[in-house]
Amino acid sequence: MASTVEAPPVLPAPEPEVQPEPLAPWRNTRITRRAAVLGVLLLVVFAALFLRLWALQVLTGTKYVQQAQANSFRSVPVPAARGQILDRDGHPLVTNAPETAIQIWPSDLPRTRYPELRRLSQLTAVPLREIAHAIVRKRDDPLTPVTVRADANEHLVAYLAEHAAEFPGVTTGRAYIRHYPYQSLAAQLLGYVGAISPEELTTHRGYDMNDQIGQAGIEATYDRYLRGVDGTAKRRLDALGRARSGLQPTQQPKPGHTVRLTLSLSLQKAAEQALQDGIAFAHEDGQWAANGGAIVALDPNDGSILAMASSPTYKPSVYAGRVTTKTLAAQGLTPATAAGANYPSLNRATMATYPPGSTFKPVTALAAMQTHLVSPYSTLPCTGSYVSPDDRSHHPFQNWDPNVNQAMDMPTALAYSCDTYFYQLGNAFYELPGDRGQPLQEWAKTFGFGSPTGVDVGPEETGLVPTKAWRERRFSKAKDPCCWQVDQLWKPGNSIQLAIGQGDLLVTPLQMARFYALIANGGKLVTPHLLYDVENPNGTPVPTPALPSPKTVDVDPAALQVVKQGLWDGAHLTDGTSYPVFGKFPVSISGKTGTAEKIVTLPGYQGNKDQSWWCGYGPSEDAKLVVCAVIENGGHGGTAAAPAAAEVFAKFFNVKVQATVSKHSD
Amino acid sequence: MLEYAGSQRTGLQRNRDEGVALAGVLRSLDWLLVAGVAGLVAVGLWAISGVTRFDVTGNPDYYVKRQIVYVCVGVVALAIGLLLDPDLYRRLWRPIFFGTIGLIAIVLVVGRAARGSTRWIDVGFFTFQPSEFGKLLFVLAIAGFVAERARAAADPTTTLRTIGLGLVPILFVFAQPDLGTALVYAAALAAMLFVAGTPWRQLAALGSLVAIVIAFVLWIGPAAGVNVLHGYQKSRLTCFVHPQKCTVDARYNLEQSIAAVGSGEFHGRGPKNATQTRLNFLPEHGTDFVFASFAEQRGFVGASLLLALYLLVLWRGLRVVTVARDLYSAIVAGGIVVALLFQIFVNIGMTMGIAPITGIPLPFVSVGGSSMIANLAAMGILLAIHARGRVARSPRRSR
Repeated sequence: MASTVEAPPVLPAPEPEVQPEPLAPWRNTRITRRAAVLGVLLLVVFAALFLRLWALQVLTGTKYVQQAQANSFRSVPVPAARGQILDRDGHPLVTNAPETAIQIWPSDLPRTRYPELRRLSQLTAVPLREIAHAIVRKRDDPLTPVTVRADANEHLVAYLAEHAAEFPGVTTGRAYIRHYPYQSLAAQLLGYVGAISPEELTTHRGYDMNDQIGQAGIEATYDRYLRGVDGTAKRRLDALGRARSGLQPTQQPKPGHTVRLTLSLSLQKAAEQALQDGIAFAHEDGQWAANGGAIVALDPNDGSILAMASSPTYKPSVYAGRVTTKTLAAQGLTPATAAGANYPSLNRATMATYPPGSTFKPVTALAAMQTHLVSPYSTLPCTGSYVSPDDRSHHPFQNWDPNVNQAMDMPTALAYSCDTYFYQLGNAFYELPGDRGQPLQEWAKTFGFGSPTGVDVGPEETGLVPTKAWRERRFSKAKDPCCWQVDQLWKPGNSIQLAIGQGDLLVTPLQMARFYALIANGGKLVTPHLLYDVENPNGTPVPTPALPSPKTVDVDPAALQVVKQGLWDGAHLTDGTSYPVFGKFPVSISGKTGTAEKIVTLPGYQGNKDQSWWCGYGPSEDAKLVVCAVIENGGHGGTAAAPAAAEVFAKFFNVKVQATVSKHSD
Repeated sequence: MLEYAGSQRTGLQRNRDEGVALAGVLRSLDWLLVAGVAGLVAVGLWAISGVTRFDVTGNPDYYVKRQIVYVCVGVVALAIGLLLDPDLYRRLWRPIFFGTIGLIAIVLVVGRAARGSTRWIDVGFFTFQPSEFGKLLFVLAIAGFVAERARAAADPTTTLRTIGLGLVPILFVFAQPDLGTALVYAAALAAMLFVAGTPWRQLAALGSLVAIVIAFVLWIGPAAGVNVLHGYQKSRLTCFVHPQKCTVDARYNLEQSIAAVGSGEFHGRGPKNATQTRLNFLPEHGTDFVFASFAEQRGFVGASLLLALYLLVLWRGLRVVTVARDLYSAIVAGGIVVALLFQIFVNIGMTMGIAPITGIPLPFVSVGGSSMIANLAAMGILLAIHARGRVARSPRRSR
């Protein structure tokens, strides 16, 4: 190695190998001669390559073009069966029906494709325009077929098989479509599946344009568990695209996981029936406009949802197989028809907001006790109307029962649902000095109002807890040019209205159910949820993200006890607002009625309509179930919502429903 | 003693000429060779852009963009090779030799396995394939040894020693296992012996020996239960002779490749309609079978353009052998040119069924950074040898 270290070139090199060769090579004829030999080799090699290339491409090229065209082992996607959705006891709510799909391989269509496509359009009853559109959409993807319809009947399949020669480029393949054994049961909640849209493609990773994706409800939320992994198979096709061999699987599809919900099939059925009955009760009571509603039933201890009904509803099967605007419109699922059918796709439990009315009074009661505005067992007068001393307009706020004049403590005021009692609390909140903030609104927010509940079936409305800051934002010069200076002020009436759950306050039935769960479980704010567990098709559990643990709200247990007393009284004392429904119920139920005024726009009518509410739990001590029911435009809480809720309790506790006596109350 | 005096004198003169030589390099460039290389790189990028268009969904330029980066690095390597005096390599042949072996050995130790053979070292942003650079380094080193013993070129011991020395890196590469590259090294070794002036008789004896070894490895050995090659290697080597006897996999590749070349016909099918490539019937169409894919897409027109450019570069390369300033440079040029010729023939021949299937990349075309950079560096050295040979030959300095 030392020899390679170069000495300075000026000095003689120390070793002989630094010497150059004796002869300069351009005078070395031997090198020139050998280079010439290599040159000959070069020419021979290139002559061979050129000749071979010429022979292959020019002389016999046509043969290889045919070979390449016949060379059509084609990779075919094999759809994976989507996972089932079960109720908590394993009853299937959504399954798959295997179907035969009619597919087109656009690259195999003849050059004049119009006559063939038109015949196919007639046979499959799919408009030609739709087929053409689908082909254009998949222009950049020659390796997967375009599905014309996924639910071809056997006659059509047999016909196409017989006439295969007339339909080059048309094949059949396996497809799965969703099947709903209970039809419209829990429709908004389960959601549906559809072809992925270009927008979804950009926001969802790991999908391609041929995928189906959950579009709403559980199908969308848990798409990642349900979808499975498509497999591939290869099949030899001839130049016309006709199968020349069966499918040879190259990669087996992996079916999707089974998703089990906390929902109870029997309770869900009962809740949906109860909702219809509640609407019927309202009609009997003369509430002609009652036309929808929601019922939520959940376990107060962990927030698992056992039933979530929303009316009106639809049949999700219209989204399975071939989806047409016509079938969607018949169910009120297109923008043009939705209003006429009263928005059947809306999950009213999470997406509709209502003023809560008297069902909100426990919030006011708790906030007032926590703020030390009132002592629960000292009395306030319950009168026919109330005028705030701070109200310069001296507007009288009416009680629902104008003929009352009685001193009431808090449990009685809750049981009797005395508005004037709570007006006084509202006014006391108004009179608090500015540095005390707005404790009623703060407690309402602490109890989960005005923010999403975190339920796993989205989307969700947050509702609204009106505050001074909100009024200032809401009524600006630009949005309310005439009266913004007055409207943006927080006035006594705002506090008074809020105290009985009216005014600008808006809540979802689910938020309300969550709050009653908090009363029932002693102060824990649970996260409502529907996912029970996930299993792969072999029955092995699949890990799922843990639920957020219930948030313990720092509320005085004594204050909670007062409210629980009031709710028990409401159902058990003869003066209680839900006594006619729950007074003789075999299981002890506690709850609160609500009759909330809301300005509604109906066909041919615009004005105030009462929203019928009932929220409560049972058994009164150690509650197992919270139920919250709303009947839209249903009138009094005790006549529509309370009997509907009672049916759910009756199913849950497996007891007979008592004959209900209507009672008009707040 | 005379040689000493001579060496001293040329040494002095070289030193004085250094500046002149650098200045004269540009003037005495072989512009035809430069044009040939530039044309090859351009056609290569064109080929890659068509061949890999549908390989990465949504990103048709993925490979061609990477390849352009490699070309840029390669051009820098070419410039460095052009500016350095090749005599430097002669003086440093021993460290180069051991460096080459070390580099290849590293792969055996830490390299990662790819498709059953270990050829790559992952250095984060780039997987580095030392045996590609090894081709060039091997030529530079062995040429040093041969030039040192130029006077004893006719002595059989010299020939045997050269072969013994060359076999060390060859066996290392073979052990990777990378049979194709090992054969390229062997071809370069034979070419260097040939240019250095090894007598025909010895060459003939060597040729017979090689024939016997091949016969042993392929037929006699397996019959006697001695397997030097992996089954797949043997199958691929003999497939083009007996297509019916080889494994399904090897025959599939060969059939698809020939169909791809043939279906290109005169004008080519274009990237969109080249189903052999686009539908992935042709495996490895960005690397080993890139010629077949290119021929399918661009037809006889494109493929013969590529062949013509190769011919131009190799012809100019062989001319460099004859104008080289000294024997070392001539041997280096011979080694580089023959290694290139061998790769081109085996790669292209393999895609058309007239050469065995080995995993050799097609110089200047196949996707891959190491090969592109090493080949451009080799072209830089060829150009350097040519330029300095021209400078040495110019009348001013010839006595």
